[in-house]
Amino acid sequence: MKKGILLIAVALLLASSLVAVGCPRPVLEEPPVEPIRLGAVNPLGDITGRQSAQGMKLAVAEINAAGGILGRPLELIVMDDEFSPAVGAAAIEKLATVHEVDIFIGGMASGVHLAQIPILAKHGRVTVWIGAASHLVEAAIAALPDHDWYFHLHPWDYQQVEGTVEGWAAIVEKFPQIRLDRMFVAYEEGAFGAAGFAISRALFADVTIEGESFTSAVFGGGDFRAVLRHAKEFNPDAFVWVGFDPDALGMMVQAKEIGFAPPVFLGTPPGWPVGFGEIPLSEAVWLYGMWSPELKGVSPEAAHFWWAFIEKFGEEPATYFAPLGYVNVKFVAAGIERAGTLERGPLIEALREVRFEDTAVGWPLTIAPSRLIRHQGFTRQMILQWQGGRQEVIWPFEVATAEPIFPFPRWEDR
Amino acid sequence: MRNWRYIVYIVVISLAISFPFYAGVHPIHVATTILSLLALALSWDILLRGGQLSLGVSAFFGIGSYTTVLTHLNWEVSPLLSIVLGGLAAGVVALVIGLAVLRLRGLYFAIVTLALTFIFIVIVRNLTDLTGGAIGKLIPSVIFGGDPAMIYWLTLAIAVATIITSEIFQKTRIHFALTSIRNNEIAAKSSGIDIFKYLLFAFVVTAVIQGVVGGVHAQRFAFVSPEESFSLTFTILPLAMCLLGGSFSTLGSVIGAGGLGVLAEYLRLMMPRGHLAIYGLVMVMAILLMPKGIVGTIREQLVRRKTASS
Amino acid sequence: MLAKLRQRDYQILIAFIIVAAILAFWRPHVLISGLQRGSLYVLIALPVGIIYGILGILNLAHGEFMMLGAFFAFSLVTLTGIDPLIAMLPAFPAMFVVGIVTYRLTIKHVVRAPLNQFLLTFGLAVMLTEMANLIWTTRPRIVWVPYAASSATIGPITFGTFEFVYVAAAAIVLVGMFLFLTRTRAGLAAMAVGQNPRGAKLVGIDVERTYMMIFSACLAVLGPIGALFLIRHAIFPGVGGPFSLRAVSIVAMAGFGNLPGILVWGIGLGLAEAFVRSFRGWGGWADIIFFGMIILVVFYRSYQRRVR
Repeated sequence: MKKGILLIAVALLLASSLVAVGCPRPVLEEPPVEPIRLGAVNPLGDITGRQSAQGMKLAVAEINAAGGILGRPLELIVMDDEFSPAVGAAAIEKLATVHEVDIFIGGMASGVHLAQIPILAKHGRVTVWIGAASHLVEAAIAALPDHDWYFHLHPWDYQQVEGTVEGWAAIVEKFPQIRLDRMFVAYEEGAFGAAGFAISRALFADVTIEGESFTSAVFGGGDFRAVLRHAKEFNPDAFVWVGFDPDALGMMVQAKEIGFAPPVFLGTPPGWPVGFGEIPLSEAVWLYGMWSPELKGVSPEAAHFWWAFIEKFGEEPATYFAPLGYVNVKFVAAGIERAGTLERGPLIEALREVRFEDTAVGWPLTIAPSRLIRHQGFTRQMILQWQGGRQEVIWPFEVATAEPIFPFPRWEDR
Repeated sequence: MRNWRYIVYIVVISLAISFPFYAGVHPIHVATTILSLLALALSWDILLRGGQLSLGVSAFFGIGSYTTVLTHLNWEVSPLLSIVLGGLAAGVVALVIGLAVLRLRGLYFAIVTLALTFIFIVIVRNLTDLTGGAIGKLIPSVIFGGDPAMIYWLTLAIAVATIITSEIFQKTRIHFALTSIRNNEIAAKSSGIDIFKYLLFAFVVTAVIQGVVGGVHAQRFAFVSPEESFSLTFTILPLAMCLLGGSFSTLGSVIGAGGLGVLAEYLRLMMPRGHLAIYGLVMVMAILLMPKGIVGTIREQLVRRKTASS
Repeated sequence: MLAKLRQRDYQILIAFIIVAAILAFWRPHVLISGLQRGSLYVLIALPVGIIYGILGILNLAHGEFMMLGAFFAFSLVTLTGIDPLIAMLPAFPAMFVVGIVTYRLTIKHVVRAPLNQFLLTFGLAVMLTEMANLIWTTRPRIVWVPYAASSATIGPITFGTFEFVYVAAAAIVLVGMFLFLTRTRAGLAAMAVGQNPRGAKLVGIDVERTYMMIFSACLAVLGPIGALFLIRHAIFPGVGGPFSLRAVSIVAMAGFGNLPGILVWGIGLGLAEAFVRSFRGWGGWADIIFFGMIILVVFYRSYQRRVR
């Protein structure tokens, strides 16, 4: 059996080197001038983390093509957190001590980030994070003795809901036929859904809200018929489901099955299944989102990003994390440029002052305090609607690409 | 001479203890995680020696995590004491459950322990006022202020304690009791062994270990939630490590934990994307080529050589 | 191995019918949803039961193979535009081949080694999931056919009708397997192998070949099942995992080797889930009902065994 062990070792080596040769390396070639190192930790196994990294790479490539920052090229090192807090924390440690990055960027999951915060605090390097929406993360950051070095670009969960409250108030005012007095919220039973429901109930003050939890298709659920029936009995003005991408099809199909067509049918998954827009059931479904492909029609930056991404990677951006990753790097670069140095104090000052009138995500970026922390970037989500297979922006009206279809067309008419 | 064995032990232990002094911070993190998984793997193996395949490691791990956090937050217990309480809570739950569940054998026992994990998840998730519900709970600071060396030493101490426990189970009367239960229950019973007592003892002891490891984990990352703290990863990885290294032996789990842990790091380095596929491939091939685990295969080799030369 | 219908099974059947009748009047939706969803569970659990009964192998990668079947059907549908129901046909031989390859490369080495089976099939599950991820990414894929959302209305009740296909499929597969195992020579040989492999060998049955054929056939069934699954569900690499657990649990509840029991417990599970969910605010506890049921039934069975 010694042969067996030898065999394994050889096979291992062979397999891993074969694949490693074929796969993209995490570290770019060492350039002659000392580069500025950005360290990112994303869930590379998931579409969000992968495309976020791609957005970052695109920005880095563009900046380096234009001569870099302060005469130095940018170097991007991306590590996988595998959605695991332990792995994500170790990745931060590795980036800090082995790769000696200057600035931390990236991110997606809140649970992973919670484990990373103590290590980030220990090193105290400037961190511009585009992940983590949970208010628990905000509390953890605020509890640190000093968090000046921390910049958070992704809206917090309560900010997202605040945005939708504001948005619906504006929509109801502008389009008087739309009412929002009764809302039924179906939420997935994990942290994502539970937080979404709890915060909605707290912030939608004038609305009668009922809710019920379900098991998401991600965890083997996907049968929403009971919840949809209860929603139908409640007869809401708006039905909202807080879940994940795979739930989208089931929701629509089962709603049609039981004949449930409320005036407003709204879903809030982080992303949508491939080709969802093409199926007839998607028409007039409302959604919340930080970005939409249609913004390339109203925002020059969004358009530029869209076409540059397709050209470089041969695929379309599929999630808002793609432009968000891009903005992440551009923001950091602008800050470094403005400060003229990588020194912590001046860099923090400079980043605080950075203002983008337009970004790849489609709208402006400024830094201001949130409820508990000093440096918060984006604070709102948009309200959109699927129309003709496209995610049209309904609100904010400044970047709107279409007017709403109301009420939700009957199932028989599709 | 038998003394060389003790020299090897002393050298290894010295290297392990002094590790934080000569290794970088990242390797210390990785080593800490490996040591946690090692303790879990060994604790799983101990029960396996009695013929009971438990899939409930995550259940006790999670109980330990939550007890640690809740006692620390609500009763202002010190971190170390809260970890002890975590282990004790897991032990108590194991005692109560074991009285009922240890009557089962084989796959039935495995499935019930797995079902228990999910039941705990649902309970914890629904008792929102106590546990924070699906969103989870934070503790204000990491144990030892986040000092990686201290956390490493704590985990090392737990791993060593587990190794010693495993060796006690291997070298004393308990070993014979458990092995005979595993091999032939009826014979064991007829030779007067109180099967139930031994199994319950093993079950509670291993649950305490798993609870303590869970407690340390919660204190290390300052955060608990139903999905993270009861994650099946804490059952599956230790199981894989133990089986690949060689079951029914202390050395086996040590090798398995070290081997798989280092392999995972190596794969992460080489292939940022898709390394999990290779990980799975390695597991499959290891089982096919070394069905008795690394330790078992080496033992076989040594026996073969001995009989060949004689 | 295959339990003939006993007195107790008839009692269960009658209890079943009574419960169904009650539900039909009190909470008809529970009956319909439960029956449909339960049939899906039965469909997925039946191959697991057979593989365990005859080979003694618990395939932890079962759900992942179904995922593979679903993606195969998906690829066929998107590349050629055929209807997913039609894609069921080529999916069967495709997964049969996968079964043979998997068996010869891996499974046959662990046939009577329970612990190693665990690890091997788990490793397979990880490999399959990751390979699917590399090819299709984690973004869910869907196919749309209008009849997926077909519905009917009887009186005040509006319900979906497509999922009755699951009920029909479950019945077909169950009856088909039953007939195969009890009426054909190959099937009887397989049962003999399951009960006593050494004895079967002595009598001249090619045990190895039987193992391979049964394993591959059970995997092959996952092809069409995957296609049926695809019609109503978005698929992604991780979609199979939770179903592996359910399948194994149902087989355990039925008692290993009891095929009609799988039908009973699968449907029973579906009904129990639907029942709990039908009460507002109790949906979060539906999982506990499932796992609680498993625990109770397992206890009952092991108590039975010891009493005998």
